[in-house]
Amino acid sequence: MSAVWRASRAAVKRRRLQTFTLGVVVMVSSMMAVATLSLLAAISGPFDKAFNAAHGAHIVAEYDRAKVTETQLAQTAHASGVTEASGPYPLAVLNHPAMVGGRPIGLAGSFTAVGRDRPDSAVDKLQLSSGRWAAAPDEIVLNMPKDLGAQQIRYDSRVTLADGTSLKVVGYASSASNSADGWVTPAEAKALGATSEQMLYRFSDAGSDTALTKDMATATKDLPSGSLTGTSSYLGIKANLAKGPGTYLPFLTVFGILGLLVSVLIVGNVVSGAVVSGYRHIGVLKALGFTPDQVTGVYLTMVTFPAVLGCAVGTAVGSVVGEKLVHQAFWGIFNNDLVLADTSVPAWIYPAVLIGMPVLVAVSALIPALKARRLPAAVAISAGSVQQTGRGLAVQRRLGRSGLPRPVSLGLGWPFARPGRTALTLSTVVLGVTTVTMAIGLSASVVKYGDVQKQTDRIQVSVAVDNPKFGQTAPAHSDDQLFALLRSMPGAVHVSADTPLQTRMAGYPGVVRMAVETGDTDALHPDLVHGRWPSGPGEVVVDSEFWHAHGAALGQTITLDDSDGRPRSETIVGETAGGWDITSTDWDHFAKLGPSGRAATFSVGLSKGTNPQSFAAAVRKADPGIQASVNGGTDTMQKVMVSVISSLTVMLMIVAALGVFNTVVLNTRERRKDLGMLKAVGMTPRQVVTMVVISMAALGLVGGVVGVPLGMAVHRIVIPLTGHSTHLDLPSSLLHVWDWRMLALLGLSGAVIGALGAWLPSIRAAKAPVAEVLRTE
Amino acid sequence: MTNSRDHEAREVVVRLADVRKDFGDYSALDGVSLKVRAGESVAVMGPSGSGKSTLLNMVAGLDRATAGTVTVAGQDLGGLGEKGLALYRRRHVGMIFQFFNLLDDLPALDNITLAGQLVGLKARPARKRALELMDQLGIAGRADVYPASLSGGERQRVATARALMNRPALLLADEPTGALDSRSGDQVMGLLTDLNKLGQTLLIVTHDPRLAAKCADRVVEVADGLIAREWTVEREPAGITR
Repeated sequence: MSAVWRASRAAVKRRRLQTFTLGVVVMVSSMMAVATLSLLAAISGPFDKAFNAAHGAHIVAEYDRAKVTETQLAQTAHASGVTEASGPYPLAVLNHPAMVGGRPIGLAGSFTAVGRDRPDSAVDKLQLSSGRWAAAPDEIVLNMPKDLGAQQIRYDSRVTLADGTSLKVVGYASSASNSADGWVTPAEAKALGATSEQMLYRFSDAGSDTALTKDMATATKDLPSGSLTGTSSYLGIKANLAKGPGTYLPFLTVFGILGLLVSVLIVGNVVSGAVVSGYRHIGVLKALGFTPDQVTGVYLTMVTFPAVLGCAVGTAVGSVVGEKLVHQAFWGIFNNDLVLADTSVPAWIYPAVLIGMPVLVAVSALIPALKARRLPAAVAISAGSVQQTGRGLAVQRRLGRSGLPRPVSLGLGWPFARPGRTALTLSTVVLGVTTVTMAIGLSASVVKYGDVQKQTDRIQVSVAVDNPKFGQTAPAHSDDQLFALLRSMPGAVHVSADTPLQTRMAGYPGVVRMAVETGDTDALHPDLVHGRWPSGPGEVVVDSEFWHAHGAALGQTITLDDSDGRPRSETIVGETAGGWDITSTDWDHFAKLGPSGRAATFSVGLSKGTNPQSFAAAVRKADPGIQASVNGGTDTMQKVMVSVISSLTVMLMIVAALGVFNTVVLNTRERRKDLGMLKAVGMTPRQVVTMVVISMAALGLVGGVVGVPLGMAVHRIVIPLTGHSTHLDLPSSLLHVWDWRMLALLGLSGAVIGALGAWLPSIRAAKAPVAEVLRTE
Repeated sequence: MTNSRDHEAREVVVRLADVRKDFGDYSALDGVSLKVRAGESVAVMGPSGSGKSTLLNMVAGLDRATAGTVTVAGQDLGGLGEKGLALYRRRHVGMIFQFFNLLDDLPALDNITLAGQLVGLKARPARKRALELMDQLGIAGRADVYPASLSGGERQRVATARALMNRPALLLADEPTGALDSRSGDQVMGLLTDLNKLGQTLLIVTHDPRLAAKCADRVVEVADGLIAREWTVEREPAGITR
């Protein structure tokens, strides 16, 4: 054993640069593995995980206090199908609460305060993110407002109602069930004029809207008629999360899988390269009397030592990076502390990486080492010598007579002399360039996805119309007047208006979320995956998720209730990548179903050269009841996503570049004797460096030229797959993210890394005394 | 065969003056002075570790002296930088090594032409010169063969052809028969003798008294980094064995 240890130690000492590079590759790969596994673990059903952890309510039900007693409601907890229930809790709807600390709380215009004596009830366990639970009559805990980030309790935070009642904010909490805007003590809720009672239920069968409707009917069958005033299903909350921002999750999943895969491939490549390059050494050890097992032991120890060290450091760093990355990604996506609370690095990841990575290294080393142990010593010793004819010879002969300076032609010819080694180097470069190309493409697609969602290429200014029902200023202009106003402003080319609404579809028990648009929608409509934009009433487009959920097809007819409650037949003529379930341009028949019965938003397409900021400012001045903003600025979520994906891309690039660097270093090191000999016959140090750098840069260039289209091809496969995995058809524009300058740079990246990897060891080789090199090699 | 008067009249190609070479605390050469004249063949002999290979490396410009001066073909090697030494090696000396030091990746012909192309010879004339040398050295049919497929004697002939490619003032040979069987060794000895007869100056490092006896006019014995003694040789008759 001591002989194995001695030989391993000597090998590690002799190959310091290689050992260091291997350690760093394993370190970054381990870091990447921890980070990406954390990401994958966190994004596998984040809502379900958070919802189950919080024992979220499948149904939040509201009852009329005047029609039902608390005892009757408590009885519903024992109904068939109910597995758990909490409540009843008195519920007060507070109208027009004042602003708190200059920031809005909950929905403008109405505020639901529920009386609960504790946050950790059997159903809907609340996550108290800061402060404490309300204990006194004038205290309130607020549901954490979205988009505002983590809140700090301030002494002066108060909720002041229109009648002058003032409640002190003592804490912030999150509810997975979205059960209230704020919580007070039960007595305070009653004092605030509670007119309802809230019950929170979990059912044994909660897989669909139909099942939940049936469950509620069973639970409330003995209650007085009309006592149930409303319900809210967890499926609706989940659907809202999955829409829009949630669609970034598949991209993160792809990055997570990619990160793991590339780490494994690069580590395998680097380690097997290290062992293959040591064949001669293996032969020498055998000649000295080492048994095949001892030889294998030496090589496993030699590569496992830096791997274990690198893995330990990488895992430690990865845990910090991973947690930060996941937290960052989820904050960007969900803006919800509840979901974030469950995104720490799962404990199983540490042993998985700490054991898995060294095992991967050992297995990668074992395969070539086992091959080497079977080789007779003499064959292993002469593993570096070349006996070849044919294509390699012809190429070298041609290069030798090409008139190129001899160091250049020699450098270009080297890769042909050792096809096996060249294949290994080339595969590393190709893998690296492919990975980086695909990662950059995916990043660009994510950015483009955000732009497609917001239609930044067509809509430059977005104008939100205030709704007086929510306590906002009523606009001075009607829809027609706003159309006229916006069209008359300098720079406006196209103007459209839309409003979201909910309606019923025949044969579907739930509600469908719909948008109706009017104006220049032909010019401003979103990208279509299939089909065309509606040409008028009677035609609709549906979003991808709806398309797959309902097995839609072009030309299919669906029946929707219009604003008068009458069924209208609509033909599906197209599919959009995102947005609302259904979009129609039949303004007259659907617009009144919207929250204000009029346009909620106007979209403006500007002429080239018009400043959108100035345009928006001019719009704001024209009517205090409308809020104009520039469309297309990167929002927080997009910034966060780009930042997360960039971090993953950089990690992938580091791992890939190190893999290439290591292979090139090995390759150059193997040639030390040749370099010494060339110096002996009169090659200058500069010529030696030129030759080596050209040799590896040429390989890198070939790798780059192969890797770039390969990366593009994989990107072309991965993007649709990403959509399919989540039943989304992504627009083909997400594939068109390439810029020739970027591609040229990517193509050259292999050459640059190859040249850099060769440069350092070739400088060393060029400086090494010839006599010493020829003596020692 | 040379007489001493002729010998003295010839130009000095190699001049070592009080050369010392230290490796840490150990002195491989400890004040060696030596002259080799044009057309002369000098064998340096001595036991392992005596400093004979170090002496050869000094003359080849592969290593630098710690003290003293090494002058070859009128050039003081101590004054040359790395590039200068490389240019010196390609223009003035040819080297033959015990283990040939051929480029395994290149066939025999390209190994030879390489030396010519490094001094700026175009591919066609370099090839012509290399083929001539191969013909002269009896390996004409082995042009496209890789070193791994050549016999030891053939490899050393390829190495010799490479060394002669640029018509060097001085041919240095470090144990040129050390890795060869006796028949191949005899062939190389004959080759070196013939080259010397044609006027090629030789400096040979060897353990082999037979090689010294056959190829050298003068033998210099090195021991513990010093020249212990030197003597002239009455050469045995020899010729190139093909």
